Amino acid sequence: MAIHKLLKERFGFDQFRVGQEDVIRDVIAGKDTIAILPTGIGKSLCYQLPAYVLEGTVLIVSPLVALMEDQVAIMKRNGEKRVVALNSFLTYSEKNRIMAELGRYKFIFISPEMLVQKNVLAHFRNIHLSLIVVDEAHCISQWGFDFRPDYLRLGEFFGELNRPGILALTATADDKVKADICRYLQLQLPAIHQHSLDRPNISYSIVKIENGMMKTDWIKNRLVATPGPGIIYVASRKRADELSTLLQGEGISVASYHAGKEQEDRSFIQEQFITGEISWICATNAFGMGIHKDDIRQVIHEHVPQAIASYIQEVGRAGRDGELSAATLLFSADDEGRTRFIIQDDIPQEWEIKHYESLLAENYLPAEAAELARISETGKRVIDYYIERMSIEGVIIRMNELIREKEAQLQMMLRLVHSEKCIREEILGFFGEACGMKPKFCCSVCGTADGLLLDAQKPNVSDKRMMDWEERLTGLLG
Amino acid sequence: MNLNSILLTIIGRIDGERTIYAGLHLLRGKRSGQTLQDVEYYGLKEFFGIVPKLTAERFDEAAKQLSDWGFISTMDDSFVKLTEQGRVEAGKLPPYRFNGWDYRGREMIFFGRLSLAVQTVSNFKAGEKSFMPAQKDRDIQSFVKMLVHNQPISDPLFAKDIGEELRLCITRSEMDERQKIIITHRLSGFGLTGWTWDQLADNLKLNAFDIRLLFIETLHMMLAVIIPSTDLPFLRKITESVKVSTYLTDSSVKTKQLFDRGFSLDEIVTARNLKKSTIEDHFVEMSINDEEFPLTQFVSAEDAEAVAGKVKEIGTRRLRLLKSEFEMLSYFQLRLILGARTGGGN
Repeated sequence: MAIHKLLKERFGFDQFRVGQEDVIRDVIAGKDTIAILPTGIGKSLCYQLPAYVLEGTVLIVSPLVALMEDQVAIMKRNGEKRVVALNSFLTYSEKNRIMAELGRYKFIFISPEMLVQKNVLAHFRNIHLSLIVVDEAHCISQWGFDFRPDYLRLGEFFGELNRPGILALTATADDKVKADICRYLQLQLPAIHQHSLDRPNISYSIVKIENGMMKTDWIKNRLVATPGPGIIYVASRKRADELSTLLQGEGISVASYHAGKEQEDRSFIQEQFITGEISWICATNAFGMGIHKDDIRQVIHEHVPQAIASYIQEVGRAGRDGELSAATLLFSADDEGRTRFIIQDDIPQEWEIKHYESLLAENYLPAEAAELARISETGKRVIDYYIERMSIEGVIIRMNELIREKEAQLQMMLRLVHSEKCIREEILGFFGEACGMKPKFCCSVCGTADGLLLDAQKPNVSDKRMMDWEERLTGLLG
Repeated sequence: MNLNSILLTIIGRIDGERTIYAGLHLLRGKRSGQTLQDVEYYGLKEFFGIVPKLTAERFDEAAKQLSDWGFISTMDDSFVKLTEQGRVEAGKLPPYRFNGWDYRGREMIFFGRLSLAVQTVSNFKAGEKSFMPAQKDRDIQSFVKMLVHNQPISDPLFAKDIGEELRLCITRSEMDERQKIIITHRLSGFGLTGWTWDQLADNLKLNAFDIRLLFIETLHMMLAVIIPSTDLPFLRKITESVKVSTYLTDSSVKTKQLFDRGFSLDEIVTARNLKKSTIEDHFVEMSINDEEFPLTQFVSAEDAEAVAGKVKEIGTRRLRLLKSEFEMLSYFQLRLILGARTGGGN
């Protein structure tokens, strides 16, 4: 069937979005493909459409269980029932049931740690795969901000299969990351599609501010004068709570969001943000993945992100509807040291690694040992991968390299902050792209940032009303 | 009600026989021999494990306040007791409606199921078959899936019946107005998002921690109404296996199984490769919770009688004092006697 007809009939679109069609043609032709498409451009169509052209099952490797569940829910809602998610949350019997009838499914989502488990390979050998998709493929790169050691094993795994074409999807990848994707996934002469990462409807501002207290004032004034919905990214959980309380005091409709909150509260806040009951979220970087909200008008960073790639990912959550949106980064001199501290705190230090290893030798459970050695969850994942493969000295050298690399990335981020060149040009240049025509509202260096927002004032005031208990019960259940 | 008042009540009951941290262990639901015995001896079952994640900082703050206000004092042996003023204050407190011992945090399973069931029915009734579940826990999701399987969940009357059961349950439980607001606003459904603890705290002018305490008490009060009821069928299904079925810890259950099969204490120590003191703790737990516990396999009936009499006479359960009265008995034997003869709600 012609792919345009399929696009209309199955997905209800009249035309492809920029970049999609070329990717889809290569995928259907069975080529290994790397597609670098900005957030919100409809990455999932790049494998969903070919799935209906090709015979067999599409296997999608996805790093975040929440994202996976989300995707499955959306596909089911759209009428595709032959879709399933395989992850560690399944019970033993559920997992066995699904494994026994893998061939039934058109789409199988799987987490990388599940894929490399024993016996799983055998099951996948028995079915006909039409395509393998690696979502968030930048996680394979040790230089990326989202490194997932399990991704490194994928290449070995796929090598054992009589494999179909691989489609690697990501929103951001510089040359180093692209090279890692090719190498570790063992891609054969891949077609590389890199759509421009430029988001013309987002204007960038970098505002230098003397100290933290003045940042708070800046944010207060900004939120009173300009419209939401928006996200304010802050450096810590504590700060998220603190800032949110301060802003509430100004009558602004805002809540804080971070991994330290109870799961129920996190669900409530997400939902309230999506329905528009609250306009602003003060969040750590835990907020954002899997949030489907198209009309986010502003993203404000109160701290310096660790790398340009993570900054772009967070900023990219604004303006998915194509409407004018603003990204603002507030910078003060002591931010550099604070971000560096967070980076180094995240990567296990030499003595922590040694302590961890000696605890393991004393037969402590890995999770327990990591806690005692004060190693973060991410840190543990990384060390566990390397400890299997090299001596403890090797692991330490590796970690030191990682610290140096992260420092280099931070330096790039700082260069962006202090640059006297157009911010858009600098960002695109970082990903090896030239900047074409500049939009009307470009950036603070060009002197053309977000003029429009100041006119479009909407009240951000909370109108959430507490009900009488019986009224609420009637509202819920009738 | 708040943490301070609960702590004041607890100290009133352990009056001068434990350190302040017995209160912390109790509220967290620590499953150590000592705490489990305290629960029995001092009649503290209701508070057991009602705040599993209580931080030491928050607890210390409450203790300091009680001390600053002159309600409690710490003695030379670091045990804590009420002052005269504290006793007067404690006497004014209304009774609590917690039942921590029977639920041990599992009331949250009940709430999780209730929350997801209400959200599901509320959405389906409105014709919305897809929504982001407020509960992510797998067990809760599959429970609710089973629960509504083959039920007319799109029928507004089905939703209305559940609403009616909830209305009855809330009214019968005699919870206060704040609690009614809290429980109904923690539930979410079609067009009505749930309220976070902070949002509730803001609106009710209480702190988020106290709101959570009220919430836990609310759940215990609802469970007390639902479990023995005959006319709340839907809610009763939701309470399935929420109440703990055995009061023994998992490890004690294993020890009991071996003991029931005829193993001696020492044989159990070897078989389970655990410390003798740990196995002894298990036996003490059994003596507290098992009415059939064969105390006379460990001490003579006369000794048990004498110790029980002494406890009544001098009004203390402090082991050290009892040990000085009964030199020939071991601490282990004394604890067994206390467990079997003075525990069990006497």
